[in-house]
Amino acid sequence: MEEITEKKTPLISLVGAPNSGKTTLFNYLSGKNYKTVNYPGSTVEYSFAPLLEKFNLTGNILDTPGIISLNPASPDEKVAISSLYYHPDYGSPDVVLVSVDSSQLSRHLLLVQQMLRAHFNIIVVLTMGDILERKGFQVSEDALSKRLKCGVVRINGKTGAGVPRLMELIELSLSSKKTESKFNDPEFDLHHKLHEEFHHQHERHHRRNGDSSNHRRRHFSLLHLLSFFFAKRKCHDEGAHNHGNHRSINDLEKLHGVDPELLRNSHKLIHIFHEIEKIESEVLVRIDGAESSDKQKSNFNAANNQPDSFTIKIDSILLHKYWGLLFFVLIMAATFTSILWLASPIMDLINIAFSSLSQYVSQTLGDGWLSDLLANGLIDGVGSVLVFLPQIIILFLILGLLEDSGYLARGAMLVDRPLSKIGLNGKSFVPMLSGFACAIPATLAARTISNKRERFLTIFILPLMTCSARLPVYALLIAFVTPQNKPWIGGLLLATIYVFGILNSCLISGIINKFLNRGRKEVEDDSSFILELPTYKRPVFSIVATDTYNNAKQYIKRAGPIILTLSLVIWLITYFPNSNPKVDETNKTRNELVQLKNSERLENSYSAYLGKFIEPVMRPLGLDWRVGTALVSTFAAREVFVSSLAVIFKVTSTEDKLQNSILKQMREATIGNTGQKLFTTATIAGLIVFFIFALQCISTIAISKKETGGWRIPSLQIAFYTITAYLFSFLTVNGLRALGIQ
Amino acid sequence: MKTASDLKLGENAIIVDIDTNHPSSRRLIEYGFTPGQRIELVNKSIFNDPIALSVRGSLVAIRRKEANCIKI
Repeated sequence: MEEITEKKTPLISLVGAPNSGKTTLFNYLSGKNYKTVNYPGSTVEYSFAPLLEKFNLTGNILDTPGIISLNPASPDEKVAISSLYYHPDYGSPDVVLVSVDSSQLSRHLLLVQQMLRAHFNIIVVLTMGDILERKGFQVSEDALSKRLKCGVVRINGKTGAGVPRLMELIELSLSSKKTESKFNDPEFDLHHKLHEEFHHQHERHHRRNGDSSNHRRRHFSLLHLLSFFFAKRKCHDEGAHNHGNHRSINDLEKLHGVDPELLRNSHKLIHIFHEIEKIESEVLVRIDGAESSDKQKSNFNAANNQPDSFTIKIDSILLHKYWGLLFFVLIMAATFTSILWLASPIMDLINIAFSSLSQYVSQTLGDGWLSDLLANGLIDGVGSVLVFLPQIIILFLILGLLEDSGYLARGAMLVDRPLSKIGLNGKSFVPMLSGFACAIPATLAARTISNKRERFLTIFILPLMTCSARLPVYALLIAFVTPQNKPWIGGLLLATIYVFGILNSCLISGIINKFLNRGRKEVEDDSSFILELPTYKRPVFSIVATDTYNNAKQYIKRAGPIILTLSLVIWLITYFPNSNPKVDETNKTRNELVQLKNSERLENSYSAYLGKFIEPVMRPLGLDWRVGTALVSTFAAREVFVSSLAVIFKVTSTEDKLQNSILKQMREATIGNTGQKLFTTATIAGLIVFFIFALQCISTIAISKKETGGWRIPSLQIAFYTITAYLFSFLTVNGLRALGIQ
Repeated sequence: MKTASDLKLGENAIIVDIDTNHPSSRRLIEYGFTPGQRIELVNKSIFNDPIALSVRGSLVAIRRKEANCIKI
């Protein structure tokens, strides 16, 4: 929004059903040179870009998430639709391009009809003409344009055929909009003026402040004032970021002069469809150009309007009773193995890079707090954010490929039945899968679930998925209990932990669901699963890669600041107050001296006080203040546990053998002066169990609060997971000891 | 009255009515399940639920509970 002028740059919004060729069109118009923007206060993403210069037209294009109608069914659709009426940062669109798959004409015209009824200034963009042509038909632009009384253009998003015509239509529509008022309804005009007035204020405000952070509040309060004025009805201030705002969309519809009944009433919808069927029969023409006769029409409906036969053939295997299950398991197994094995060498590289950088900095700058802050606070902090990136990128790449190919919807369909038994939904499948990389994008993915209860329950159990931050911790702990000559035991243990995570989430979800279901009547349940199974196609790598890039960027933007801030806080409490400890300096290399100082400093630091303070709590788990301190530090990110242990146990070694030297120190550590070993099979098992349950991740808590619209769910999560982690860890340690396993 | 849930694999029928009292009915209509349309049961999930129906040239997976409000 840098170049705000008195004359607003026209805003061209792009809407359409998922898979209607919307993104291809957007990429063509923007030259793929776009930025991803959020709907303010929410995490729903938009692509925003100026029109390419070659089109000789000034304008900004806003791509919106796919919708099939103007009636929202889930939180992401609510945001998508309200932004269509009014986007807090970009205002109302001057013209809306509605992408319509020509081969899906009768379904996709619903949105077009609703948009027309909602007084949007639209241009219908017909895509996928090639698929329809293969069936021997074509949509007549003229006939459809006459029938709908709006611009219609056939385009090919890949070759750009039809785009010049589209530009003409946009220009025409923008200029006609200025000269004549479309609506004669005086009341609507008034709304319209107020709308413009807001535009004005909004922009002035923009110029003054140069930022957009306060706009939302301003916008919504003004909007509510308006709706109060016109509807004489009090509105609570619940912005689009709360997702719970049907009312807000109603307000927007009112401002737009729309009768909500027209869009919502089932009978009216059926009526619209009947109208569409009539239109379809009029505008579909045979390729040779002749108007379709009645005979040809029926020909199209019966024989040609069939789902893709190739897709049905593949589905007969992938959705087969037995083969389907086998392929599902194979695909999931392949996904997980690639997350684990492909990512680990890159993660090692990142680890090595950052630890050498940190070493280099501390050696160059010498001793002192600044050097330590940079090396151990900042660089390690950045490293602990970036180290998860490989897994997240690989997971999103695979998810993207699965989605673009069309399989993901089938996966959701396959697991819907079992998941619905435990209070979840087939649509919980993607969030749960993402949870194995990181709970943050996973929580965001849950917003496609329309039923609030199922969505919250999905978000609730996501921290149980074995996220990538736990992996370094498990690697260390498992290495401790794995015999040197039998490495396969370690692999087996890790696999068990993953499976345990899934079983746990199902069990806990099932129990909570039972608990919630008490006293609820079957009829109240509005849980639903309606999902389009897209045609199978070869995934387009560039689209998947762009999506992955955006997801990775989102992760860094979201989790980055929190992890980094917390790393700095933890650095503070581990560095002070004894910032310059005295140690015996004889016969020690510089490196050893630094490590020794670190340990001495830590032993008298605020974090150690904290660790000692919680020691009585750690004792029943067979652990002492040192592990307590490490556990406190894991709130930045779970994997910080490993580096904290390293510092606490005076590990002096070169970085590549870090794990071995920690292990050596861990084997020798005793509790106090008792001579009793601190780390035993029992306490390690207890620690693993602790990490399986515990919700030690500030970022997850923050995102959970945001997505559920309050502290209720996150505080329940914190309480529940802390208690279960402690309880089961206690039971594990003492159970094993009772069995004679130390 | 028979519903879409009673269809056998590969069997097709014409929609007679949609039970608009059902909470999912509006969504079903929006996906194109309207009276007069021909639907076919193309596939079933492993546990026989949800089912995949073809309607207006596309495939839509719905639960049997939802299929029950599509009268055929």
